[in-house]
Amino acid sequence: MPPTLSVQNLSIEYAARRGKVRAIRNVSFDVARGDALALIGESGSGKTTLGLGVVQLLPSTAKITQGNALYHRDNKTIDALTLKGKALREFRWKECAMVFQSALNSLNPVLRIADQFGDTARAHNYLQGRALKERAEHLLTLVRLDPERVWKSFPHELSGGMRQRVLIALGLLLEPQLLILDEPTTALDILTQRNIMDVLKELRGKLDFSLIFISHDLSLAAELADRVATVYAGKIVEFADVTTTFKTPAHPYTIGLINAVPTLQGAKEDLTSIPGSPPDLIELPSGCKFHPRCPRADARCKRDEPELEEIASGHRVACWNWRTT
Amino acid sequence: MAVTSQTQPQTFSLLARIERITSNYVLRRIVKAMFTIWVVVTITFFVVRAMPGNAVDILIQDLTAQGFSADEALNQAASLMGIDLNQPAHEQYLDYLANVVRGDFGKSYRSRGLNVADMIAQVLPWTLFSVGLSLAITFIIGIALGALIAYARDTWFDHLISNIAATLDAVSPYLIGLLAILLLGVTWKIIPFSEMRGALSPGIQPEFSLEFFADAFSHVKVLLLVYVLASVGSWILIMKSNTIATLGEDYVTAARARGLSDFRILTAYVGRNATLPLFTRLAISIGFAVGGSLLLERLFAYRGVGFLLADSLGNRDYPVMQGVFLVITFAVVFSNLIADFLYGWLDPRIRIAGGGN
Repeated sequence: MPPTLSVQNLSIEYAARRGKVRAIRNVSFDVARGDALALIGESGSGKTTLGLGVVQLLPSTAKITQGNALYHRDNKTIDALTLKGKALREFRWKECAMVFQSALNSLNPVLRIADQFGDTARAHNYLQGRALKERAEHLLTLVRLDPERVWKSFPHELSGGMRQRVLIALGLLLEPQLLILDEPTTALDILTQRNIMDVLKELRGKLDFSLIFISHDLSLAAELADRVATVYAGKIVEFADVTTTFKTPAHPYTIGLINAVPTLQGAKEDLTSIPGSPPDLIELPSGCKFHPRCPRADARCKRDEPELEEIASGHRVACWNWRTT
Repeated sequence: MAVTSQTQPQTFSLLARIERITSNYVLRRIVKAMFTIWVVVTITFFVVRAMPGNAVDILIQDLTAQGFSADEALNQAASLMGIDLNQPAHEQYLDYLANVVRGDFGKSYRSRGLNVADMIAQVLPWTLFSVGLSLAITFIIGIALGALIAYARDTWFDHLISNIAATLDAVSPYLIGLLAILLLGVTWKIIPFSEMRGALSPGIQPEFSLEFFADAFSHVKVLLLVYVLASVGSWILIMKSNTIATLGEDYVTAARARGLSDFRILTAYVGRNATLPLFTRLAISIGFAVGGSLLLERLFAYRGVGFLLADSLGNRDYPVMQGVFLVITFAVVFSNLIADFLYGWLDPRIRIAGGGN
């Protein structure tokens, strides 16, 4: 069976005053049916741009310069990047729901939660009235909210964690095949974060959908994802299943990210941060974009950019020196 | 012990009742509005009496100059102003307050025997009609064009409308009025201004008929045009900036991600949030509009409140001035009150925070 989403050679640029910001450079990846893929990287690495690109919600300064995003359902394959008008509107949320980073502001402040569910359902000729309410109550219960309380509330009457869970429930309303969650736990306190993660894990067990989970937090990705793609300077630099990523990471950047996460048992000295800062996406460094920060960089890294190469089954790395890392 | 245990729940429930009354949002607002009106009424009373060459003295001088004896002039003045000059000031003040509450603003100096309240009642409908209609037109045009150019940002259409709006906003309404007379009446001779004095043609009676409305409209149309041109610019610019700000909100992008129709996003997501602050402005504008426009109503010889005020200023007709100022005050305070309630009703965040529901 073909993958639910297959992104191929995608490149996205932003027009800025200084020049072109090359946010996504020739990125390809697949998300199989029921699969959960985590996109991991620092702020500004292009993770969110990738998500926005798939649903064509990039700001007007952005431009998709090449590539496609093949979406598959019921023996039909469409390129999500060529959709327009009504077809695009139907694709959004019904096929692919994207829940944004800013959960606190993602709901219209002057409409009740019930109306925002109603709006969404009406736009897609989905259930109405009592049937809609029952479906919504079911989803709200799944995300551990009290439907009676939430249904008639305005967004400002709910806490940040509750709003995030409302959005996740809303995201699942139309039974989409693909759910993109962009930093769903950022800006939430640690307990609420825990709660959201538990809800998501539970949902994955109960419902059938593919997930793209965008995060800078490796530990969250480890909990939720089947596979992990490490994004650096608009490119995927390592791709592996979650166990391999943590047990035998091959790219120095992935290793750096893992070492930057504190562990319960580890000594304080083991905690190291990656030196330097993310590269300027307008004037990218030559060769491997990570070489200015890489402890193993040599002359070749400065000269040529490595492409992803398969070093083990399902494990691909873009690094010249992966054998020695 | 027994006493306290009995009285405590009582005082508690009494406090709770007072608390409930004072925490009532609507009631609190109304009390505040009435307090404001009382302050203005009081200030008006004392200012008129504290003015150099106070109103009564000037009237007495005028009357003696017309051949009245000093005593007659005093009595005449007192009866015209509705005050007993032999009373101490605080009693005069209380009388005055009682009269204002009854809607009695005294009698005009110049138009002998006419009640100020009646004079205002005669001109008020015309000002409300002209200004109300122009505000409605301005509001609709301003919101529609403002939202449109926000959606079409940085196109030639946006630049054109924005520049026109900014220019209109900067030009004085009086100048627009003069230009209208010059162009429409003199240069192009489209509008016969001499036939348009007053709010109605001679012989037309206020009644519910097409003839009456057509005549009333033909008298007001140029004034209307000037009002709209003079104020529509700022509405367009404000609506544009509100809409642009709202378009950048995350919930609008999220609504797009949910596949909502453009129309639904425009009305319930962008439009509703972008116009929220404008409703307050609209309500407050209505309040100030009751005063009409001193200059424009005079320029177009339109007998509204502004015309009456300009007349009374020229004649030093203090009771009329006082009456007009009071009516304007009531209108402004009242419309602010309406604006508060309206905003609370339109914006659920305020509704809850304000304590009312």
